[in-house]
Amino acid sequence: MTDQLTRRELLKRGAAGSALLTVPGLLAACGGKAKSSSAKSAHKLAKTLHFSNWTLYMDTNKKKHTFPSLVEFQKKYGVHVDYVEEINDNASFFGKIQGQLSRGQSVHRDIVVLTDNDRYLSLMIKKGYVEKLDKSAIPNMKNLVDVQKHPNFDQNRDYSLPWQSGMTGIAYNDTLTGPVLSVDDLLTNPKLKGKVTCLNSMGDALTLVMLSNGDDPSKVTDKSFNAAFNRVKKAVDSKQIRQFTGNDYAPILARGDLMAAMSWSGDIAQLGNKHIHWNVPKDGGALWTDNMLIPKGGNVYTASFYMNYVYDPKVQGLMEAGDPKKNITGIYYIPPVAGAGEWAKKSDPSVASNPLIFPTKKMLDSVHLFDNNALNNQKYLTQWQNLISA
Amino acid sequence: MAVDERIQQSLERAAESSGTPDIRLDRITKSFGDIIAVDDLSLEIPRGSFFALLGPSGCGKTTTLRMIGGFEEPTAGLIYLGEREVSGTPPYKRDVNTVFQSYALFPHLSIFENVAFGLRRKGTRGGNLKGKVEEMLDLVQLSGYGKRKPRQLSGGQQQRVALARALVNSPRVLLLDEPLGALDLKLRKEMQLFIKRLQHDVGITFIHVTHDQEEAMTMADRIAVMNEGQIEQLGTPDELYERPQTAFVASFLGISNLLTGAVAGPDEVRLEDGTTVRVRNGSLNGRKGRVAVGIRPEKIRPDDHDPNRLPGKVKERAYIGVSTQYIVETPNGNITVVVLNDRPGTVPLGPGDRLTLSWDPEATFVVDSLEGSA
Amino acid sequence: MSFFHRHRGLTPYLLLGPGIAWLAVFFVVPLGFLAYQSLQSGNFDIGYAFTWSWGNYWHAIRDYHAQFVRSLEYAGLATVLALVISYPVAYWIAFRGGRWKNLLLLFIVAPFFVTYLIRTLAWETILSDNGFVVNTLQSLHVLGSSGRLLATSTAVVTGITYNFLPFMALPLYVSLEQIDGSLIEAAEDLYASKLHAFLRVTLPLSLPGVVAGTLLTFIPAAGDFINAQLLGSPENHMIGNVIQSKFLELTDYPAAASMSFILMAGILVAVAIYARIVGTEQLTGTAT
Repeated sequence: MTDQLTRRELLKRGAAGSALLTVPGLLAACGGKAKSSSAKSAHKLAKTLHFSNWTLYMDTNKKKHTFPSLVEFQKKYGVHVDYVEEINDNASFFGKIQGQLSRGQSVHRDIVVLTDNDRYLSLMIKKGYVEKLDKSAIPNMKNLVDVQKHPNFDQNRDYSLPWQSGMTGIAYNDTLTGPVLSVDDLLTNPKLKGKVTCLNSMGDALTLVMLSNGDDPSKVTDKSFNAAFNRVKKAVDSKQIRQFTGNDYAPILARGDLMAAMSWSGDIAQLGNKHIHWNVPKDGGALWTDNMLIPKGGNVYTASFYMNYVYDPKVQGLMEAGDPKKNITGIYYIPPVAGAGEWAKKSDPSVASNPLIFPTKKMLDSVHLFDNNALNNQKYLTQWQNLISA
Repeated sequence: MAVDERIQQSLERAAESSGTPDIRLDRITKSFGDIIAVDDLSLEIPRGSFFALLGPSGCGKTTTLRMIGGFEEPTAGLIYLGEREVSGTPPYKRDVNTVFQSYALFPHLSIFENVAFGLRRKGTRGGNLKGKVEEMLDLVQLSGYGKRKPRQLSGGQQQRVALARALVNSPRVLLLDEPLGALDLKLRKEMQLFIKRLQHDVGITFIHVTHDQEEAMTMADRIAVMNEGQIEQLGTPDELYERPQTAFVASFLGISNLLTGAVAGPDEVRLEDGTTVRVRNGSLNGRKGRVAVGIRPEKIRPDDHDPNRLPGKVKERAYIGVSTQYIVETPNGNITVVVLNDRPGTVPLGPGDRLTLSWDPEATFVVDSLEGSA
Repeated sequence: MSFFHRHRGLTPYLLLGPGIAWLAVFFVVPLGFLAYQSLQSGNFDIGYAFTWSWGNYWHAIRDYHAQFVRSLEYAGLATVLALVISYPVAYWIAFRGGRWKNLLLLFIVAPFFVTYLIRTLAWETILSDNGFVVNTLQSLHVLGSSGRLLATSTAVVTGITYNFLPFMALPLYVSLEQIDGSLIEAAEDLYASKLHAFLRVTLPLSLPGVVAGTLLTFIPAAGDFINAQLLGSPENHMIGNVIQSKFLELTDYPAAASMSFILMAGILVAVAIYARIVGTEQLTGTAT
């Protein structure tokens, strides 16, 4: 049960609980002064790279409990990666590091990973909490897939680089219901009443609803926001929607308490339950991407050097697919590196042919990014939060 | 006035069933697992008496009391309260009240409410209740203390509250479980007399459990000496002291000199060194073979005035004030002698002095030989 | 040593020193900061400024009074349930537990070696729509055939009750265990039936435990949000959920801070009313 739970949401509440007690800034008064960003460290690799990532987000040797790509990196370049799976949701992690960053202190991390359909990624960049990438150290950046090259929160990819992507769509349990393929069905089909959940992430949920309304989620207006919001609210009031969840919907879905759920592709791929099917909804789904950032005070050159390493299609392919023969599991999300699929095919063809990991062109055409401005619109956020926690 | 009323009440009660003892235990046994605490014990306690159960700890006296109170059920046997057989009857349905060793006063209730507890349960209300409680507090010399909490009272005062709380219900029998154990010596002496007087005034049957022989002798009309779950001897304090029937009773109550020997003829015993002593007429009671002759220390004279004589040598001397106690070495073992210091100017004997001890055959008692028992 | 002799009057204060310092650093200062923050205005992007913004309090009450009331309601219900459930258990362990006492206490505490979150998730499974509990209740017609427990107030209150049970059971056990058995015998000796002896002696003497347990359960329960989030639906959310979302999701720190203060005030009022009813003597434990 816990395996599916861990990646995003499991510890969210626990972490949030302790964060509440921690008046920001008061207890975070330790930590040294950040190095100024202009003082570019010489092109010399540090001994250790501090990398904070989400749980279950790296190729793993199940037998030896090691991360093969990180072991390989150390072997090749002599840099030890201090890899910490400490991010369970964007808000909590941001809450954890923002106090020190706002006072110009280092958070002793070289790479952190935040999601583009939550507000914190762009907030980090806007507030100047991140270092500029050393692009001279990342020649492999040329392999970045086209669709990711110019996101509106970082037009030239000066500060961020995708780690992995995922899609938001609808999952259903075929032992309890026929196919649930549209947002319409999910929000209004009386047969599903009280047996569906909606994601508590505004970007994910509203992208799907707006597409179903025929609106463009990448350019949110008050009108399109209200239309989508009211539709969700109506489904809450009519008790169609049972709960708002993070990825804790996965075990409930597997258990049979839910017939259908708004859900993330990677969770369903990891779940591996033949009765649970995931689809991009009829009117389109959401695409989100977790991005690597170098927080202020991080070692820019070493971090950039590592980014270059993972942007090598061969390395990325192996990370994605793992190697069943060697007991290595892959990441199983959507890689942002062009050409990774060819290498993945060599170690695990089933991964390379899985549309949840290497989506078809048709799939990619039907998934959309949420408007970044709307993510930071306090009015929208407040309204949304009141809906999901009232 | 009120006390008279209560005496009247108990006299009436006595009249309606005169001759029936207040408590009758009929062959009761109580075992806890493998341990037999009370062993086939039978006992009658007459109406209006102050009765003591005396014995060392673990002798079964408290268990016996708790069975009368209803806190333990006998494993076998019957318990009668008056004419009624009560085994199986819970404590709250028995016309018996208890003064607990720890007093067990309710800490959250005032003294008044502590005393009123039983009356309230029996349905007494209003002025009647107030009158009875205050009268009882008066009787135990605690009028004016009604509003206080138990923890604000001294040990002796708490003890008296415990008495009042039990007596106010005018039970058929009052049970006292080592009630004076927690008090200091002076207070204990005072309370002994106080309780004795109280019993005399109210006329209720008191059953008092104690391990203190002096306390039992001071307070009780009759004493049952218990040992290993059985009654060794039952009688008045002076019977027990003057005519103990077993070595256990003889040594548990006061000091006894026990000289072992063998029956040598009617009322004659030959001691181990060959001396023949006479004993009280009939005290051999048909015994044959080995016996022990007992003489209380104060009944032995340090001279040859009386017919039974033994030579000896003073080993130790302890001056007590009213008397002097000697330990005298004799061929039959050490003998304790107590001499009253009633003649001024007498030069006391010192360690090493030789002397003759003598005593009257009437002052002796005979028990089965000590050998093999404590 | 001589210092203490010369300044005997100071000694108690010196001994209190570390405790006072601890309180100051970890309670008074954060509380002061929270109070300061609760009167700020602004937002995360432009920054916050202290403006005596009492409106934060007014808005919190205007917009979220339902959640405040619900929190006190759920916490109160859970407290009563926890009391009703744990009193017999604590009683039994204290008076009948014998040599198994410690083991039985361990059983009460044992589930709490598991993280709060996982425990609550376990309840998600127990109360599952197709689970044993729901099926049984359905077959007994307590629940309709389409009825469910998850995502209802029943599940939330059940979860809170379960999660705070030891905070109720342990103080109860301690106060019951301290009662001298001869007091109960004395009551029975004075014509009280078992029930009366319980009502007149055992229950009043265990009141300090009841009070301690009630406070230890009610206060944290009122601020809880995990149970509501995992076992409830949005209409069961408590003020803790709102504070969490204000603090973490909306980074609206002044709103979160003012709500924390309102919750604190609400709890204080509830405790004051409670103290009025049971008597302050019980609250401070001076009656034993």
